[in-house]
Amino acid sequence: MENKKLTAKDFITVGIFTAIVFVVTFVCMMLGFIHPYVVASYVIIMPIVGAIPMMLFYCKVEKFGMITIMSVLFAIIMFIFGMGFLGAPFIVLAGVIADLVAKKGGYKNFKYISVSYGIYCLWICANYFPLIVTAEAYRQNLLDEGYSVEYCDSLFRAVNGKTIIVLMLISFICGYIGAYLGRAVVKKHFEKAGIV
Amino acid sequence: MEIKLDPRTKIYMIFVVSAIVMMSATTPLLWALRIIMTMVPIMLLVVEKRYASALRFFALYIIAIILIFYFLSAESTGLIKALLTGYCGIVAQFSPAFITAWYVIHSTKIDEFMSAMQKMHVPDGVTISLAVVMRFFPTIKEEYGSIRDAMKMRGISFAGGNAVKMVEYRLIPLLFSCVNIGDELSAAAITRGLGGKIKRSSVVELKLGVLDYALIFLFTCATIVFLFQKYIKP
Amino acid sequence: MKNIIEINNVSFHYKGSDEGLLNNVSLSIAQGETVLLCGASGSGKTTIIRLINGLIPHYYPGELSGSVNVAGHDIKNTELYDLAGVVGTVFQNPRSQFFSVDTDGEIVFGPENIGLAPKEIKNRAAAVIEEMNLKKLMGRSLFELSGGEKQKIACGSVSALLPNIILLDEPSSNLDWGAIEELKKEIKRWKSEGKTIIISEHRLWYLKDVLDRVIYMDNGNIAGEYTGKEFFAFSDSKIKELKLRPVKIEEKFMSKFSSLSHESVNKQEPTDVDSIELKNFYFSYEKRPYIFRKKKLTGADGDILSLNIQELNLPKGTVTGITGKNGTGKSTFLRCLCGLEKDCKGEIISGDKIYKGKSLIKISYMVMQDVNHQLFTDSVEAEVLLSMQEENKAKCTEILDSLGLLEFKDKHPMALSGGQKQRVAIASAIAAGAKLLLFDEPTSGLDYLHMEKVASLLKELANSGSTVLVSTHDPELIELCCDYVLQIDEGKVAGLEKI
Repeated sequence: MENKKLTAKDFITVGIFTAIVFVVTFVCMMLGFIHPYVVASYVIIMPIVGAIPMMLFYCKVEKFGMITIMSVLFAIIMFIFGMGFLGAPFIVLAGVIADLVAKKGGYKNFKYISVSYGIYCLWICANYFPLIVTAEAYRQNLLDEGYSVEYCDSLFRAVNGKTIIVLMLISFICGYIGAYLGRAVVKKHFEKAGIV
Repeated sequence: MEIKLDPRTKIYMIFVVSAIVMMSATTPLLWALRIIMTMVPIMLLVVEKRYASALRFFALYIIAIILIFYFLSAESTGLIKALLTGYCGIVAQFSPAFITAWYVIHSTKIDEFMSAMQKMHVPDGVTISLAVVMRFFPTIKEEYGSIRDAMKMRGISFAGGNAVKMVEYRLIPLLFSCVNIGDELSAAAITRGLGGKIKRSSVVELKLGVLDYALIFLFTCATIVFLFQKYIKP
Repeated sequence: MKNIIEINNVSFHYKGSDEGLLNNVSLSIAQGETVLLCGASGSGKTTIIRLINGLIPHYYPGELSGSVNVAGHDIKNTELYDLAGVVGTVFQNPRSQFFSVDTDGEIVFGPENIGLAPKEIKNRAAAVIEEMNLKKLMGRSLFELSGGEKQKIACGSVSALLPNIILLDEPSSNLDWGAIEELKKEIKRWKSEGKTIIISEHRLWYLKDVLDRVIYMDNGNIAGEYTGKEFFAFSDSKIKELKLRPVKIEEKFMSKFSSLSHESVNKQEPTDVDSIELKNFYFSYEKRPYIFRKKKLTGADGDILSLNIQELNLPKGTVTGITGKNGTGKSTFLRCLCGLEKDCKGEIISGDKIYKGKSLIKISYMVMQDVNHQLFTDSVEAEVLLSMQEENKAKCTEILDSLGLLEFKDKHPMALSGGQKQRVAIASAIAAGAKLLLFDEPTSGLDYLHMEKVASLLKELANSGSTVLVSTHDPELIELCCDYVLQIDEGKVAGLEKI
């Protein structure tokens, strides 16, 4: 079918993969409760673990819009789960750009796909937005919680309005690397089993 | 008494409360506004006959507030007191958004949500995908349960401590299952007419009632006062 | 009578697969006919169903020639959603064919898609609920329904679109006897409304006196056409020749599945053979509050118990079939036996050894109904090696050879057929040294040939010293391979008999 319009099947595919990627992300997020250090390492864990389902998803994408819709869904879910409305537009923006990049490679060229996924991973930084905006209150809370001043300072040295750029860079790079790892897993299992 | 709120009102509530959560309350008036806005979803939970959760949230929030105001201060010393202050701070800060989200998720059927999105002119594609996401969470839970059982039987739950394998053994069968189910699901859905050119209709009738307008008004006023107090007056 | 479905000289070849193709098939079906498509797996039954509902060529790509005309629509040039009100399809898997989360939403799903007015949809839904007696199921989450109930909702959802043609693709595969009866009732009701019904199915006995015509498929061709009467009068040997599952079920097997009266607990425990003893298998899904330690469940807990077996001797080295309705504790029994339910404190005594708790996991292994969940690695060989304490390639080769899997050694387990996957799971169980092999409905949805294969495999496993337990809804399977039948009802042993 040469139809460029998205069909019901595509919407369902998007829905399924959004659910899976969200669950994977959510589990990673739960790790953050173990120790606040993990919170800062979201930018490393999430792109890499999430790459496995995402690379399978990219195999199924052929038309413009699927990645965009996925990001819209993520924005909606994150919004309802109380991430606030600052992150939502950012997530969608990352999704649209990622979609455009992948489209440039015809959704087949892996060079474009890896860059596209790297850009998509920038959404993870939206998780830090509440942290940055409420930094003052959050820092106070941590201090009260008995964490040392140095620890809090180092955390907020790691996560603040300026270093967010660095974090975005890290998540992009991890996404880029993750894409290759995810690709390897897809080859090892799904291509070998003949389902993609 | 039965009160049926329009899903659009609920979405608006989430929007407002998430915004308020982002701004720290500094004066008693701001605190009062926050507390009022937190009480609304708790009251709504009572109306929904979810007494247990309403009581739990109420107790949690009130205790946190009372502790903060009367017993603790930032200069508290001693480990237990410090820990307590920290947790109370987090509860007071983030629980309004959490309670609202919890209320909305538990009181809204997916059909209603879809129909509200349609009314707000969200494209059908997004609405359909979102419905699939909601349907798939329980499916993932079921599938993962089976996979976990299978791993237990094989004695590979921890894969000998190899973190990569632990992720692989869980994720790969899960993905295979989900892709299969997805294929069958799409086939079943499109033979029943999903994705046609005709606009989907819905049996859910949405109408903004008096209570909807009242709540929207209340939340809007609260936001305006909050913003005014915090940023313009001083 | 007018023909409502015309399939003319159709050949089809799935993209990237040689299974289920069609060779120049022509078939016409008249308005109001009830037709069965039968034949081995991969003979093209499902392909014909998909031609009629338009999934071929619009969903499953491949090479298609010839023409298909359904109720005046040329399928090739008709969009799928335009067929929604014309053809309705009930699929095989109850788990995957619903779209909504709650039952109400599922019934109105189709009518909403084709944009009917809300009032009309409500009327239709009310009519369907009334006719099909669905009231009890309304307002519930689909995830908490049993397979049979889900299938009922699927029928209702199709009904609400008022299609003239109804297709059923192996609808009974995952159902128990009670649910099959319900399904039969539904088919009869549709028939009485004058709908055209086409059923593709392996399980045949329940369709007696519903069918007008039977189409026998073989290798992508129509290899036989019979009237319903002719077909059900066929001798057992003729049916066997056609490689079909039996059309008649013997009375003595029938009784193993139909509901039981409680007075007649018929327990003939084996005395002549070695046996393994099960003790204190109690389990409840109900969570009871506890403070320090959970109270041990005992037989005295009565009603809340989902499994209530104080003592039972099972014959060693034989195949024992487990029967009983869905939801009466068959699966719970198997789960407890292989140590998946921690709260079950049952013990297995075999010879002078006692196994309980974690050691149950070591000696037993369950092949799950959906075997896809228990395959983890990227090759058959790795799958078996994963189960071994110490990797032993020679032994692995031996096991694979004995199960006829050696040629697939390097293939991905997921690339294999359903039966082969089952054997991979068995291979890994043997490699792990399991002595007690449990099978959860291994033959649901299999054709006769594959069922025979499973049966002989189970027998071989028993002959080589393993004790095999198999839960099933297929009387044919019991006839083929079981030495004993254990009936479970409401969590209790309702009978253990030698066949």
